Amino acid sequence: MQELLGTLPGGLVTGAVYALLAMGLVFTYKATRIPNFAYGAMATFVAFFHYDLIEGRTMGLHQSLLVVRLDLEAHVQLGFWAAVPVSLTAAALLGLVIERVVIRPFTRARAPMVVNIIVTLGLALLLSALTQQIFGADQLIVPNDQAIFPRTPAFAVGGVNVSWERFGVMGLLAVLAAVTWWFFRATRTGLAIRASATDPEVASLLGVSSRRLAVVSWVSGSIVAGVAGIALASLVVSSDPNLLLLLTIKGFAAAIVGGMVSFPIAVGAALGLGLGEEWVRHYLVSLDPRLWQGAPEVLTLGAVIGVLALRPKWIFTGIREDEDTGVIGRGGVADSAVARAIDPVEAFRLTQAAFPPGLWAWRGWRFVRRAAVVVIVAATVLFPVLPLVDDFYTLPANLAIADAMVLLSFVVLVGWLGQVSLAQGAFVAVGGAGAAIGANTLGLPFPLPILCGVALAVPVAALVSLPALRLRGLHLAVATLAFGLAAERAIVPRFDASDRVVPPGWMDTDRARYWVFLSLAAIAVLVCWRISTTRIGRSFAAIRDSEVVAAAYGIRPVRVKLIGFMVSGAIAALGGTMLTYQLGAVGTQKASVFSSIASLADAVVAGIGSLAGPAIGALLFGLYPELTKGQVHAATLSFWPQITGSALLILMLAVNPGGLASMARFVRSRASAYDEPTSNDDLGDLMARSTGGTDMVEAERVDTEVST
Amino acid sequence: MSDSVLSLQAVGLAFGGVRALADVTFEVERGSITGIIGPNGAGKTTLFDCISGIRKPDSGRIVLRPTGGAPVDLVVRRPWERSSLGVARTFQNARLFSSVPIGDILRTVQHESMTHSGFWRSVLGTRGARADEAIVAERAEEALDLVGLGAHADKPPSELSTGMLRLAELAAVAVVRPKVLLLDEPASGIAQAETEALGPLLQRIGAHLDATIVVIEHDMPLVMGISDIVVAMASGGVVTSGPPDEVRRHPEVLRSYLGAPA
Repeated sequence: MQELLGTLPGGLVTGAVYALLAMGLVFTYKATRIPNFAYGAMATFVAFFHYDLIEGRTMGLHQSLLVVRLDLEAHVQLGFWAAVPVSLTAAALLGLVIERVVIRPFTRARAPMVVNIIVTLGLALLLSALTQQIFGADQLIVPNDQAIFPRTPAFAVGGVNVSWERFGVMGLLAVLAAVTWWFFRATRTGLAIRASATDPEVASLLGVSSRRLAVVSWVSGSIVAGVAGIALASLVVSSDPNLLLLLTIKGFAAAIVGGMVSFPIAVGAALGLGLGEEWVRHYLVSLDPRLWQGAPEVLTLGAVIGVLALRPKWIFTGIREDEDTGVIGRGGVADSAVARAIDPVEAFRLTQAAFPPGLWAWRGWRFVRRAAVVVIVAATVLFPVLPLVDDFYTLPANLAIADAMVLLSFVVLVGWLGQVSLAQGAFVAVGGAGAAIGANTLGLPFPLPILCGVALAVPVAALVSLPALRLRGLHLAVATLAFGLAAERAIVPRFDASDRVVPPGWMDTDRARYWVFLSLAAIAVLVCWRISTTRIGRSFAAIRDSEVVAAAYGIRPVRVKLIGFMVSGAIAALGGTMLTYQLGAVGTQKASVFSSIASLADAVVAGIGSLAGPAIGALLFGLYPELTKGQVHAATLSFWPQITGSALLILMLAVNPGGLASMARFVRSRASAYDEPTSNDDLGDLMARSTGGTDMVEAERVDTEVST
Repeated sequence: MSDSVLSLQAVGLAFGGVRALADVTFEVERGSITGIIGPNGAGKTTLFDCISGIRKPDSGRIVLRPTGGAPVDLVVRRPWERSSLGVARTFQNARLFSSVPIGDILRTVQHESMTHSGFWRSVLGTRGARADEAIVAERAEEALDLVGLGAHADKPPSELSTGMLRLAELAAVAVVRPKVLLLDEPASGIAQAETEALGPLLQRIGAHLDATIVVIEHDMPLVMGISDIVVAMASGGVVTSGPPDEVRRHPEVLRSYLGAPA
């Protein structure tokens, strides 16, 4: 009992951290229906800003473009509390800028859930990279004298001392919860948000300005994120920029339990999750850290899957049917996210709607587009040739091909099947492990270990997708993030890093591997091409566009999705086997959730609906950064590729959801893009003519008499 | 009512406190065209949702009697099983797969008939799979020609007008050769002059497929003109049913639906 009591402070504080995040997520979602995956990254940004401000550090500033802040920095040094208003003002500005620049085009275009998820994930990547670029890539270490509350013991529970700092964070949560409660009960804006959350259309008819609500909620959400970030950075002592991105997943787990709208349930779930993790840590992990590694993450996964599987009613109160399914409501046409992402003509219309018309009057766009096409085509042609010119290109090219497989797996899953799954990194690891088992444990000759890796991924994908098959949209994204995190922490570290795969002698040069990888990739692309042009690909598209309509025509959603998950998992695993043959082992980097998110971003920029997309993506994000790496000053760790990449992602989703790959198609189909949809006028004519058309069954001619 | 293909027996469904369907009972005669009329909120589309499996009724049975087969209670079947039982439906807002050209949509909906096109056979392009693809493509083309959309096969739904979407949807349900065809407001969104052409087209499709048609429709001349039996619904229940002329004169129909006092 004494021992159990002693775990309470730690568990509740961890829970409070999750609760702070969950509350912010619910807040933004309630008001704007946007799941903010960038929430943790916003919190981190403000936290780094804050502690930078206190210390007057200039680390990394010479690389930054924020000249204004540089001046401020040089002359002013503030104490902790004096810096708080400045930091929170910065947080408010950050929220404002994000809403205006990033989010609004998507709200205006009524972008579907899948797009909102990818946009805020891209924003998370962008902010995380910016944080590292501006404030330095190091961990944030908060010294004792700068902690938000003193780190001296306040009192003891169950023989464990509770510091003022921990106690204070709990108090902060209570205060924020109370303020939130008051805000939603007693203020006009709070009531408007609740009204809008219940029924946005009725609310807007009654004069609630959804644009104002969006601004209010992003600004206040960002301030709450700032408070959370500052408190958490102090609490966890050292926080690297990606930590809060991962903590966001836990915040989402709690928020999802509350149906994305209920504060009490979300906070309760967060505290429960924190306590559960503390118990797992205390009673299991501390006994045998190696055996139980990743157990807290597995617990999160279990909680998410468990709650979503039980499907209590309140879970779906916040997520309207059309968002959950991407199907119901909003009229028949173009109600699917990825549908629009694939069709360049539709993408063009979306673009026109999202931006001021004057922007498109510029005649130069035509040349920009042409130039882009020329670059893309030239790059694609160059790809196979480069490694032949110089061995310097071969190793980067090999790694790029492996990357391309991950992108291809996203094309199948996200682009064709319309399911946002973020656990592809885990399948890369599975492929690597399978190859290692095949080559070392079973001692199989060369091509077979590759098959082993791919084959191992198929049942794993089936197993993983079983709970996922009933989930869609946001639920699926969060569940797969939780799975990816659990795999990253609990499974991947268990692979024996010394169990390296040694390629056969003839394949032990980069150039030989290049040809092998290129052939394997060609086979994968060929299989995908066959899928896309046959019954299987059509059933994918049907499920992506509307599960309800698909089922009405006898297409079984669960079966089709299962096939899609297995194909996609197998392709990602193929990439993993390539990495194994190139590097000896996959490594934890490529298997991480972070890497999965980054790959999805790359896949979207390159073209999520097209088989050319992965090739373009591999060139742009795999090969060229590797080639230019040597020329950048070696001492400075640059985050510019991630910054430009994620900014490009957001821009691409807003302007050209089909990605780079669709630009080439766009030029070809430009003429039809300007065609107005056929009007109703000729319909009667069509019907009249319809009798003259070829009959379905030639023998049955009876109908011609009936028609007149 | 000698030969009923679809029989609804005391079907009931409530959303919270709202009774969307209350004790709905009627028979649909094989080969007939049955019209369902009623004001908005009468439960017509909900009834279709129950028959096609999108919603599960709280009570009652929906029995399908296929020609030469055992009766099936549709309530316990999953949505996608309807297709193989010969039940097809259209949606109120002409919902098709939004990103796919209609020619491809018409091939997609024939999913079930492609028995030689499993995953590997499709990927490897076996002779059976290729034959399946050829048949499906041919039927799609025929069906598009049947409704006069042959020239528009390459266009996705977003490039078609509402009326053309209706026709495409009719072609899509026709191509799967159902025995029972549920049409949800086929005339909505098309101009008056064109609805006049729609009636004969529906009759033609029914005759073609040798199918029974159940049609929800607000356009009175259309539904009264083509239906053998009209079922009038109001607030989740059946008000009356019978031949069009009878229903047209039914006092409660006049009051609750046509809005004029008797």
